[in-house]
Order: sequence, then C-alpha cells, then structure tokens
Amino acid sequence: MLQQFLDPALLASISGLDLIAKTVVNGFVAGLHRSPDFGFSQEFAEYRAYNEGDDLRHVDWNVFARTDRCYLKRYRGETNTQILVLMDTSASMSYGSHTVHKLDFSKFLASSLCYMANLQRDAAGLIIFDEDVANYIPPSTRQGQIFRLLHAIEKAEPGTRTDFAKPFIHFQNYLHRKGLVIVLSDFYADPETIVKTVEPLRFKGNEVILFHILDPQEIAPKFREPMLLVDMENPTASLEVSPEYARYEYKHKIDSHIEALSSKARSAGLDYFLMNTSRPLDEGLREYLFIRQGRM
Amino acid sequence: MGFLAPWFLGGMVAVGLPVWLHLLRKHRTTPTPFSSLMFFERREQSSIKHRRLRYLVLFALRTLLIALIALAFAQPYIQQKLLPLARSGQITVLAIDNSLSMRADGRLDQAKRMAKSVIGGLRPGERAEVLAFGSRVQVMSEITDDHSPLNGAVDAIEPSDARTSYGELVRSLRSIAQATKQPLDVHLYSDMQQSGMPANFNDLRLNAAVKLEPHAIDSKPVANFAVENVVAPRRVYDNKKTRVLATIVGTNNQKAVRRVTLMLNQREIESKNVEVPENGRATVEFLSLEAPFGANRGEVRIDSADALPNDDHFFFSVERVEPSHALFVHETGNTRGLLYFQNALQASGQAAFVIDEATVEQTANISPAKYAFVVLSDVGSLSPTFENALRSYVRNGGGLLVALGHQSVANAKVPGTDLRVEGTSYASRELERFQAAAYLDTGHPSIQQDNRWGDVKFYQAVRVEPGQARVAVRLTDGTPLLLDEQAGDGHVLVFTSTFDNVENDFPLHASFVPFVEQTARYLGRLNDSQTNVLVGSFAELRNSKEKGAAVDVLDPRGERALSLEEAARAQNIQFTMAGFYDIRRPSGRNEMVAVNTDRHESDLTPVPPETISLWQNTAQGGPAGAGGENGEAAPKPLSLWWYVMLAVLALAFAESFLGNRHLAVDKEAA
Repeated sequence: MLQQFLDPALLASISGLDLIAKTVVNGFVAGLHRSPDFGFSQEFAEYRAYNEGDDLRHVDWNVFARTDRCYLKRYRGETNTQILVLMDTSASMSYGSHTVHKLDFSKFLASSLCYMANLQRDAAGLIIFDEDVANYIPPSTRQGQIFRLLHAIEKAEPGTRTDFAKPFIHFQNYLHRKGLVIVLSDFYADPETIVKTVEPLRFKGNEVILFHILDPQEIAPKFREPMLLVDMENPTASLEVSPEYARYEYKHKIDSHIEALSSKARSAGLDYFLMNTSRPLDEGLREYLFIRQGRM
Repeated sequence: MGFLAPWFLGGMVAVGLPVWLHLLRKHRTTPTPFSSLMFFERREQSSIKHRRLRYLVLFALRTLLIALIALAFAQPYIQQKLLPLARSGQITVLAIDNSLSMRADGRLDQAKRMAKSVIGGLRPGERAEVLAFGSRVQVMSEITDDHSPLNGAVDAIEPSDARTSYGELVRSLRSIAQATKQPLDVHLYSDMQQSGMPANFNDLRLNAAVKLEPHAIDSKPVANFAVENVVAPRRVYDNKKTRVLATIVGTNNQKAVRRVTLMLNQREIESKNVEVPENGRATVEFLSLEAPFGANRGEVRIDSADALPNDDHFFFSVERVEPSHALFVHETGNTRGLLYFQNALQASGQAAFVIDEATVEQTANISPAKYAFVVLSDVGSLSPTFENALRSYVRNGGGLLVALGHQSVANAKVPGTDLRVEGTSYASRELERFQAAAYLDTGHPSIQQDNRWGDVKFYQAVRVEPGQARVAVRLTDGTPLLLDEQAGDGHVLVFTSTFDNVENDFPLHASFVPFVEQTARYLGRLNDSQTNVLVGSFAELRNSKEKGAAVDVLDPRGERALSLEEAARAQNIQFTMAGFYDIRRPSGRNEMVAVNTDRHESDLTPVPPETISLWQNTAQGGPAGAGGENGEAAPKPLSLWWYVMLAVLALAFAESFLGNRHLAVDKEAA
C-alpha cells in the first residue's frame, strides 16, 4: 500500500520537497520493515574498545560490570559517511512526456536521498550543474543542513546544455573526504566521455552511483504521425521524424547508448542505474542503501 | 450510360472529407520539443516519404470508395442491345373470344378463320396453344407444334352466352407464362368490346414475356337493341295485382320504335310499341299476367332485327301459388295488435299470407305445423301442449314472431324459447318520455330494406336477456327491441314491445309496413332461392339434409345438365346458357330458374385503339413489337448497380486492411 506514495506522478501533486522527501522515505522505510535482509537506524553493530576521547555516554556499563573493561556499544546508524549529490539541470532535463519531468523526478530523488542521509546522520552535500556549477552546498551534518539542501534543490531551474568535463573538474576540488557520490543526469553525451570524466572520483576512493534518468518516451518513443522535433538544448536544431524511425532505429540507438554507458561504468567500478521517470522512486533509494550498507 | 437517380451524384461532395483528412490537415505540423536529437539522423526523410505514399494509397482508396457509393445510389445503367433471338422458344397462344357478342354477324367464324391462318403459318417446331375465353378461360388444346390438334381445337370452340372478361384472359396468360417459363406470342381474336375491359386497368398488365397482338374482328360501333331488364314478381298470388315492367335499351342506335311482347309459356300475352331514344332506354309496363298455378316461363322480347338477336329477349320465372296461412295468437279481447299487423301485411301489396287468428284458449287444438309462420302477440301463459308443439315446429324450420307486452312479463321465459324475461322497462320511470331505436342491424332481413325507425316512440319494452340471440334493434337505454334466435332449422323473432299502438306508436309509422312484410317473408321462407340469374351464376343444389339424394337439372335445351354421379353428389351448378333451368329437388319441389345473358354484352362499342396500344405496352414498356419483328436490336437498360456495389465492397476490404495497418501503429503509439 505504501508503495503508492513512491509513484512520481502522485508525488508531483505534493507541494514542498521536504514533505515529498519525508513521504518517500517514510513510505520506503515502512515498506522495508517487512524484509529481514534490510535494516539500519539504531541497530546494534559492534562493540569497540574504549579509546581516549570517546564519549562516555556510549560505554556499555553492563559489560564493564561483568568484565571490568570499557567497551563502547556502536550502532549502524552511527557510521558516518559523506554523501554528495550531483544534480544535472541542463535543458534536456526539463523534458517530460507525462506529469513528472525528468528534472522533477531528479529533484524528488535528490531530496529523498538527502533526507534519508540526514536520518542516517550522514553528511550530505549537493552540487547543481549544467555546463557549469550552478550551486554548491558542502556536505555537513550541521543542524539545518537538510533544509539548506532541500531549498537548493527546490530552487534548481533548467539551465543550458550539459558539459560534464567542466563541472567535474570543480567537483574534484570540492571533495576532500572519501564518500558516496551520486550523479543524477540524463547523460546525453558519449558514454566514453562520461565515464572518463567521472572515473577520477572513483580513483579517490569514492563510491560513485550514476542514476541515468530518462523519460519513457526517450527510452521507447511512440509517435502517431511524423513529428517535427526540436532539440531542447539547441533550439535551432530540428528534425522531422517518422513514427517508424522512432520505433525501430532510434530505439536501437538509445538501447545501445544505455548498454554502452552501463557496461563502461561498471567496468570502471561505477554503479550505474537506469531510472525511468514513470517508475517508483524506491528503486533509486534501494540502490543507495545497497551501496551504503557495503560501506559499513 | 445514364442514371436512374442522378441527384444522388450530389453525394460526390463527400469526397472532400478524405481530401481534408489526408491532404489539408496533414500540412499543419507543430514543432515538438525533444530532449536531444543526438540519436536522430537526417536520412529518415525517405521513410516519411514512403509513409506519405502509403497514406496516399489509403487516401485514393477512400476517395474512390465514397465516389463509388455516390455512383451506386445514382443507379447507373447502360443501354443494352437485345437481339430478338432472345425470344427463341416462344409459344404462340391463340386466344379466341367466344362470348355472346361474338355471335353477332358471324364474328366467331371470322375469328376462327383468322386463327387457322396463323396456325398454317407456324414454322416447323414452333409450338402453339388454343384458348377460348368469355367470362372464364378454357384451354382448348395442349401446347404442341402439330397443326391438326390446333385446328381441331379452333373448330371445337362453340359460341357461348358468357360475357367477355379480358382481365380473366390476362390472368390466365400470366399463369401460363409463369408455368412454361417461355415467352408467349399471344394472338387475340375478339370484337374488343369496351364492356369487357376490367374496372382497373392494372388488371390488364402483362408479363414481360408476353407479347400481345390483338386482331379486332369488327372495330366499328354496331347499333343494337336489347331487353335490358324485366321486373316481375317471383310468385303470383293474385293475377289481377300482377305487374311486369320491362326496360328496353339501345346502344349506338338511332331513335326507333320497337314492338315489345310479353309471353308466358310460349304464349303471347300482350304486345306494346315503345319508342327507344338514341343511345337511351325506354320502359314498358304490362299490367296483367294470367299465370296458371305452378312454375311458368315468362319472356319479354322485342323485334329488333339487329346484329345480335340473343339479347332481344329476357326470361323470367314466375310461380303462381296459393297464399300461405299464418297463425296470429292473441289474448282474448286484445285484438288491436292483430288489426295493425293484418292491415300492414295487406298494405304491402303482397297477398302471400292469409292471417288466421286464434286466442290463447283456442290454441290447445291447433297444430302450428300447417302455418307458414306463427305470431304470438302479447300472450300470457300458453298451454304446455301448444308450447311444445311450437318448439318442435321451430326446430323443424318454422318461423315464430313473439311480441311481448304487459301480459308476457308474468312469464319467466319468452314463449317458445329459452330467453329469460328480466322485467319491464318504462321510459317514464327513467325520466324519459319515450325511448327510440338507437341501434339497428341493417343486415337483418326484417329491417334490411327499410330502417327508418328514428321517429318511432317506445314507451314500454320488456327486458329480455339476449343470451346467444342476435340483437337486431336496441333502444336508447340499451334494451334489446328485436332479437333473432335460431332454434334448430327455424327462427324465433322476439319483438320486446307490442303491435297495438299502446306501448309504442310503431304501427302508425311508415316503417311498420315494410317491417311486417319483410318479417313475414323471412319467417315464411319466401327469400330462399333466386329464380332470375345471369349466365355464369351458381345455384346451390342441396343442403346438408339432402346428401346423396339425386337432383335433376334440365337445361334450356331440355337435356340433363348433370350426369348421374353429379346429380347425386354435386353441391352447385353453374348456369352456362341463357334460358330456363328446371331444377327438381328430392323434396319434390321444382324450381324454374330463368337465366339471362349479361346485358353488358349488348353494348358492342369497341375499345379505342389507344387503349389497346396502352394494353400492349404494359408488357414491354414501349410500343409492342418495336424492333423484335424486324430483326432490329431492341435497347434495354442494364443496371450497373450490382457491379458498382461489388467494387465498393472490394474497396471497403482494401481500405479496412490498409487502414488497420496504419491504425496498428497508432495504437502502439497511444
């Protein structure tokens, strides 16, 4: 039942990203409780020997009473990770064949991820880019970070064209700690170029997840009649396209593109995930949790 | 090529619909933004052109489909040349009129000669058939190519006294054409009498396979005099009161004086001269007819000396009989009913009945069986013996008239019947001064000829439960006034008021006399049989009781009209000759039936040539024989409707197939 709250079309009717993020994450978490394989939050993780400077509040006094040794009780939720969400706001992200545009979907996903990271007490940050960096909020666990992040996500507007090379050079400058880098984009570029641009992040010990956000009409276009298409990132370029071409040749090309990007990303140690904007958001959250768990 | 309904071609404007759908609407392509064109290439233009071409094929199919539908509704046709060879296998039909009028001036012989000449001209293998027709059609020969039986059949045709009926001939020709499924070439030999044409010209419509070739025997109007009608009593009770009225008619004649003779049993009774005006009628009245007792053969004849002598005499049958006795029963002292009833019967001019009166007390020793009918006029209780005798009398075919008044109300039932008496209806009690007759069944024999009962005032009537009886008259309050109940073979008429001018004023009205006369004739069974009929009429020979008993019929020549087997079994006989038929029934009663020819035959005026031409045209829709005979090709419209509709069907299939393929792409896109 709660899965219905993850439907992008339903979320689009909710105003306010904080509420959307809360709805998504709470719904998702409530859904997870049914599964024994997943779990997070304040679950017991391990005992660690007390070191100087550790907070005495976390000492397990029961163990101390039995063994005369100080041990700290650690929980999963307390394993801090730095998360940086890179959100593409190029013009092509404003495309949508139904109620939720790719940018909307991207916003829902980014805000949900940030919200979940906040719950985990992870330090979450955000970079909004198109052909340049439009906004940057450094990762932090400070009070009010989540609101800064959500405000920045909400303010994001479609920009110009995508250029991975330029903003990614800046990202490397911003990233000082190892962490989790999540890239939300439609990746309208050569897969080789994309992977080569993103790859250095991986070299620095970051876990990189590529969320390839595409509209269903981009994955399998269905036109009733010949259409005159205008490129959203280059309005001067237009082309008349027949339904047959879109149905067969274009489909073949976009499939090849997705396949190439997926294989190259995986071979470079990057996690790749294709997100269809008509599908529920939990697939993205699930992917995040897999990676998050792996880091603990 | 032409069109039977060219205004449907206006439907061609609907072609504009596919033009708009495919050509005009298509040009309005709006640019659609798409995220990236990096996976689209320029070369898909050829694909679009190919697709447009397919759409053009669909467009052409749709345009053609609509145009053909409009064309189909316009019903195109072409003139097809039909060669006369199409009439191969035709049958020559020789139809010879043998009606009464063909007796004039040897017309029938002339027709026979002409028919024989046609038979002589038949090619070997060409088949023919001979018909004789008057009011009915007789097939004189079978269809054959042998000339001998055909000539024999023509010779066998005898003149008849029947009237001409071209409608009957056409009906027979239609059925022959349908049965043989061959074209008929009909040669009609007739004097083409105008009076033989049916009232409705549509009855003359011929099949397309029938070609009519009329051969008029005598196309000139011929003057003719005839005795058109004779009015004479069927039964004579008193010779002094007998009157015979004859009508003489002239057709195509000049004003002339004719001598009219009344004859009885071949004996001349009286002769008179009468002046017959030009194309007019004259009447002659004979005031005496000394008829001896029994059946007599009457005849009125004229000395016309014209071409058709067979209509110069008119036969009538007259029977001299003694008046029958009728019993009138009333209460002692109440003779007013008898007075009015008896006077009404005498005033009718028919002395057919003699009234014997009796009081209720006197009826004990009276047998009703010897009376033609019995009247009970407001009687109280009858002696059981007489009542039983009355019931038996009615069951055996007797007639009983019961008038109900204040004396009868005391009885629970109407005397002689099982009808229940319910009470008395007084008009004054219902706040009405009187009742009137509100409903009259004019089909009832008692009121058939005079039903003017509107002014009669009924002050009192006895209410009788009608049961199964036929209600002939009802009063304004619905009370039955005259009921007719059949009991066995006889009838009981119940008049729920009296004849004494007390409970009503009916006896003072003019309608009382015809009522009494018709009731007396009905109950006394004087209306049973007809004795003056036309040639071609039928008469019933026996009723259900007379099965198996022989009925002898002598025709006008004095010969037996029926074989022995027919005499024992035949239910009816048709009178085919003019003259007197003597019918001897098993009950011992003899009837003399006078049979006359139809006087329509006396009018020898021929049908106008234009009418004959119209008649011929009913078969072909054009002048008869146009083309055909001269070996020229006759144009005939051939409708192309079916071919166009087949093309429409094929196009509809093709359009559906192609349209479905396009629709499949659209559905996937949806």
